[in-house]
Amino acid sequence: MSWIPGSEVYDSRPLDPETLRAAVPGTLRLHTVGQAAIDDLDPLTYEVVRHRLWSITDEMGETLKRMSGSVVVTEANDFDFALCDELGQEVQIGLYNTFLSASLDLAVYWTLQHRADNPGISEGDMFLCNDPWVGGGLHQNDATVFAPMFFDGQLFGWTSAVAHELDVGGVAPGSWTPRAQDVFWESLPTPPIKVVRDGVLQRDVEDMWTRRSRMPRLVALDLRAKVGANVTGQTRLRRLLETYGPDTVKAVMKRMMDDAEQRLRAKLRDLPDGTWHATGYQEHSGMDDRGVYKIALAMTKTGDRLTFDFRGTAEQTGMINCPYSGVRAGIMSSLLPVLAGDIPWAAGGLMRCFDIVVDEGSMINASFPAAVGKGPVGPAWAVGNLVNECLAKMLDSRPQSRAAVQSVCGGTFDMVALAGIDQRQYPFVSLVMDTMAGGYGAGVDRDGVDTGGMFVIPMGRAPDAEMTEFTSPVLLLWRREEIDSGGPGQQRGGVSGSVCLIPHDTPVPMGAVFSGTGKAATQNAGLAGGYPGNTQLDLVIRGSDARDLLAAGQVPRNLDDIHGQRDVMASEVETGIGLQDAVFVHWQSGGGYGDPVRRDPAEVAHDVREAKVSPQAAASIYGVVLDGGGEVDEAATTGRRADLLAQRRAASGISPRDVPGSVDGGEALDVNVAVSAGQVLCRHCGTGLGRLGEPFLAELPRIEASPGTAGPHVWADPSTYVDVPVVFRQVLCPGCATALLSQVVPSDHPLVADHIQP
Amino acid sequence: MTYVIGVDVGGTFTDAVAAGDDGTMLSAKMPSTPPNYAAGVIQVLEALAGRAGLSLADLLAQASHISHGTTSTLNALVTGDVGKVGWLTTVGHRDSIYIMNVVGRYAGNSPEQIQDILKTRKPTPLVPKSRAKEIVERIDYKGSVIVPLDEDQARAAIAELLAEDVEAIAVSLLWSFRNPAHEARLRELIHEQAPGLYVALSSELSPRIREFSRNATTIMSTQVGPSLGRYLEPLDQRLRQHGLTGALLVMQGTGGTVAAREAPKTAITTVGSVLTGGVTGAARLAEQLGHRNVICTDVGGTTFLVGLIVDGEPVEATTAVINQHVIDTPMLKVQVIGSGGGAIAHLDAGGNLHVGPRSAQAVPGPACYDQGGTEPTVTDADLVLGIINPDNFLGGQKKLSAQRARDAIGARIARPLGLSVEDAAAAIFAVQNEQTADLVRKVAVESGQDPREFVMYAFGGAGPMHCFAYGAQLGVKETVVPLGQSAAAFSAFGLAASNITVVKEISDPATFPVAADHVTKTFTELEAAAQAALGAQGVAVEQVMLRREVDIRYSMQLAELPTPVPAGPLTDADLQGVVAEFESRYARTFGAGTGFADAGFQFITYRVHATGVLPVKVTTPAAEPAAGRGVGDAVSGRRPVLLDPRRGFEKTTIYDYARLAPGHVIIGPAIVEVPTTTVAVSAADTAEIDDFGNLILRRNREEQS
Repeated sequence: MSWIPGSEVYDSRPLDPETLRAAVPGTLRLHTVGQAAIDDLDPLTYEVVRHRLWSITDEMGETLKRMSGSVVVTEANDFDFALCDELGQEVQIGLYNTFLSASLDLAVYWTLQHRADNPGISEGDMFLCNDPWVGGGLHQNDATVFAPMFFDGQLFGWTSAVAHELDVGGVAPGSWTPRAQDVFWESLPTPPIKVVRDGVLQRDVEDMWTRRSRMPRLVALDLRAKVGANVTGQTRLRRLLETYGPDTVKAVMKRMMDDAEQRLRAKLRDLPDGTWHATGYQEHSGMDDRGVYKIALAMTKTGDRLTFDFRGTAEQTGMINCPYSGVRAGIMSSLLPVLAGDIPWAAGGLMRCFDIVVDEGSMINASFPAAVGKGPVGPAWAVGNLVNECLAKMLDSRPQSRAAVQSVCGGTFDMVALAGIDQRQYPFVSLVMDTMAGGYGAGVDRDGVDTGGMFVIPMGRAPDAEMTEFTSPVLLLWRREEIDSGGPGQQRGGVSGSVCLIPHDTPVPMGAVFSGTGKAATQNAGLAGGYPGNTQLDLVIRGSDARDLLAAGQVPRNLDDIHGQRDVMASEVETGIGLQDAVFVHWQSGGGYGDPVRRDPAEVAHDVREAKVSPQAAASIYGVVLDGGGEVDEAATTGRRADLLAQRRAASGISPRDVPGSVDGGEALDVNVAVSAGQVLCRHCGTGLGRLGEPFLAELPRIEASPGTAGPHVWADPSTYVDVPVVFRQVLCPGCATALLSQVVPSDHPLVADHIQP
Repeated sequence: MTYVIGVDVGGTFTDAVAAGDDGTMLSAKMPSTPPNYAAGVIQVLEALAGRAGLSLADLLAQASHISHGTTSTLNALVTGDVGKVGWLTTVGHRDSIYIMNVVGRYAGNSPEQIQDILKTRKPTPLVPKSRAKEIVERIDYKGSVIVPLDEDQARAAIAELLAEDVEAIAVSLLWSFRNPAHEARLRELIHEQAPGLYVALSSELSPRIREFSRNATTIMSTQVGPSLGRYLEPLDQRLRQHGLTGALLVMQGTGGTVAAREAPKTAITTVGSVLTGGVTGAARLAEQLGHRNVICTDVGGTTFLVGLIVDGEPVEATTAVINQHVIDTPMLKVQVIGSGGGAIAHLDAGGNLHVGPRSAQAVPGPACYDQGGTEPTVTDADLVLGIINPDNFLGGQKKLSAQRARDAIGARIARPLGLSVEDAAAAIFAVQNEQTADLVRKVAVESGQDPREFVMYAFGGAGPMHCFAYGAQLGVKETVVPLGQSAAAFSAFGLAASNITVVKEISDPATFPVAADHVTKTFTELEAAAQAALGAQGVAVEQVMLRREVDIRYSMQLAELPTPVPAGPLTDADLQGVVAEFESRYARTFGAGTGFADAGFQFITYRVHATGVLPVKVTTPAAEPAAGRGVGDAVSGRRPVLLDPRRGFEKTTIYDYARLAPGHVIIGPAIVEVPTTTVAVSAADTAEIDDFGNLILRRNREEQS
């Protein structure tokens, strides 16, 4: 593993605020208030100032969004901003890319430690940074501008704004490439550098920054957008300080973080202590690789604190790594919506409630000079999936928290970039942004939102087909929801979608990059026996007859309608798209919840009518048979479900037995599993499953079959992509054969029972 | 005498205003009569006739036209009480209305709702997939036919829809605004099988790029079009039977009207009908008072509406959000920013005080209404603070229970926080005012405006108690509380005062430079269409004003800005001027240096507004002069009132608005009781009654934040 002496200085980590305060040279006076000032706040002042701080942060975001010229900002909302206290703790963050909350503070901590004496931190300064080891963003495309705010000669706080830049240099357009061996193939990371001094944008620094890009003017515009957002925030903040005084405003800021922290701690105290496990994968560390790389999580909750332990995760490799900011971001991307949806996002307070244990040099805590350009949409995203899974399992064990249970959403961003000459004879680079329309995971009492978006971007967008066709030389043969893609379950995962496009009105072939994992083993896990969502599938149909069909008055509606050589895209590919080729992109859905054979048959019939589930899958997975009118055939359904359970018994070697009967009320782990006096029982039939605290899961009957048996939404032949065997694994209740766990995983995937303190 | 009549049908009340060509103005208010709203319209017109000392027949005979604002289309869409319709669209793209560009999961939600991601959902689909049929045809971005319309397949799809008993069919195909031939042919094919069936084509209704909103707009319009006709046709007939000879016009979201018999064809344009009356009224009043820039705040029990008038014209938006769908209909930009007097004060899990956005609604209403509400509202706080008189609320129409208000605030806020009931009420009052100021500011700033350059108008029952506070926080020049004869039914006044407008638009996206003669031709065609549509309204107009604009964007940036275009044949130089104007507007809206000109420009949608100016000019009549009465004669009492938490309760003079007259000046702190509302004048303000009876609030000294 390569490691470069001297690079460790750039590894920013959260540290105790008082340690940080002590590390700042005395020449930099930090404004703060004591606990008394926080306690003395009256509710009126607190609420008014709190609301004003929200309004100020919101206006910063508006400024940034309106000024940016980057489609990933304006269409995908891949940006964020924050207001921080004097030490960089986040008081208020935006509602855009929630990943970024985990890195903005890191950049300030680092700057306080490494810039205070030289070149100094002064009034009118702003710093520019795109070094993900330092923070401010998760990969080099995330360029952040952050600024100290001074009042009466003291450093009062920090504002910051970050947005994804389309291109900041490196060997490939977009600044990361499947061919990367290390970070030197990508954009150069730039640690905090003073881009504004005394209120003046420094031309030399700006040139240094924009010179690296293939789109220097756009990068320059976005730089101004971020400077503008900071100016907006600071101007309004100054007015607030003049009205209420710095001590009062600071007391409100501290209390906002304390309040968020206390509310999260209170929520955690109401949940059982225990340890929950989840394991995920990244397929292919780069172009032409066939490996599978593991990310492991054991989440422990003790009292009002969480520990995320990622030991056992694979070492850094190829181009599928992220530095420490990425693992922290993955945690925040799930913690914010799952545990803090109803708590104000004073993220500095929320981040006090957990610890991270992660090996240095692992994929998710990669050392310089690992390639990290793909970090956010690869390993960091995968961390978010695992944290989501563990949090959901924890919440599922108490009735009052079950409403917040949600299976994993689309497990990555399916990145497909196209480049070439557009219909106006100009060069173009664009992303297929329809892949923003991922499915959401199912909950205990609800289906996942169909084509609901990306979990990490609460306000994501997908473009209209007309805007895509207007801005790029393509014709979308279809853009639709994909039937059967949602993870089957008692509650169904939200479906994802697909597009099929052909080059249109362009004189030359295009270049393309496909990047996104989850093609052999799923990344969108189900819960409580719910099936995972679909495997991702990107195809290029070489030399297709799509154009001929159009010329003959036919529009292809399905892949079967298009003839040509099907070229399955691996997880990390650079390739060309010929003028006769068709491109099919099918991104990820959400996981299901609970055993699909327990789904209300009327809901299945509704799903068939609304083209969410095919009649074939209704019968083979849900065990629901419909009559000619599309209504449930009750008798046939009962028979069909009995057959499915009998098949499960046969495949897992369960012999029929008498069962005690269903278990109502009491403690539970999820919809299937009750806990009584340390015994784990099936809630449906009362059969004992084992003892809590023991590795009972591995002892239960199970089926391991080829992945295609999970349903039409899972790629049947994993050897297309990887060399390790991949299986559809179900762990069953020995009494009633209800699925307690349903996974599409490498065959050596660990089967570890979660443990809760009764 | 000739009258113009405005009738505003709201959920609770139906208001009417009649303006005579001699400058007189009358108003009447009656309860609305759901579900048969037409009955309430006749009742309010009878009441109006009574005020004029006329029979209904005489009043109607003298009416040049009736301008009607209706909540029916909006209500139908919001409650889902809509017709069963089918939809035809391009093969491969049916799922546009289910995918909803992802935005459908959160569009129109508040930040708090968006943050609570696990609770966000998409709305029920506009139509089930069984009634959304894909038609084999394809047109590309240039309007070229890639695949001709498969008529046999289309006929079969239409037959399937008709077999489902649909009452109307929406047709919305990809790129139909570039080439409407397939949509037009589909209408013929539908009428082959179902002559006379209501059909809406997206190429006629909303010829604008971005298929999701165009589809949604077309489908929603189809869902409410036939029922709007079923409401308006009998109303029109009844009015004619009662003697109306002039036109019945329906208010649109643009602030202009459309003839009742034309309205069902473009039903979606009437969606903003009831929201915009207030802004239209404010615009007319602003013209009279000489105010160019106005922030309008219309605060009712459950809603707080904000609109802007800039350079004398209401600010428009090109889209609106209904049921989490973005729809393409030009509308006055009226934003709902939370709640009004019914906003509920509550403590969160951390013991922090919040006000709104949840509202006590009409039922149960604030705790002081004594209708079973136990949660404290802003109105309850106003009552505890002495701002509202429990015996003289809305002119004494409603008796309020101060005890219920105190109990609610005491139990839910004061005790948990360890405050007195009065201090808790003061906190609710102040939080509401500050929060309101933040939100109004957001509306102004997002339109690129600085509130300090504006006059604020405060109307609606719950606005004038708080406007001194949020106006001061915003730093507006002065605050006008419209209280003249039009005030009781300000929205109806706006209706009566509005002109007839037609908007015609078409997307023709292209990268600049665009050929000047092509642009001229596009506008000439739009103008001809707009003139024809105006002529079809059946109302004599004095003058027709045409206004051209084009939505332009920087190629790599999202925001499109409508930019004015000169009249007549255009030259390349004219278009350069249009682009320069776009750049300056962009800089004004989003900040200097924010445009990325290097990426080039795109002209997206061309639009013509045609306004038919009506012969009767409706203005607010002058108020009765003081005739020797002094301001002291209007004093009705004194009571302790808290308007400023720093000053606490102060013995405050109460004025009876009925006894105030032009020229009277009130030094705060004071309360002015009006039958329709209560105006609070803080110690930092002076209030003056103007010639029309409006109350003008001015700060005594500069206070800004």
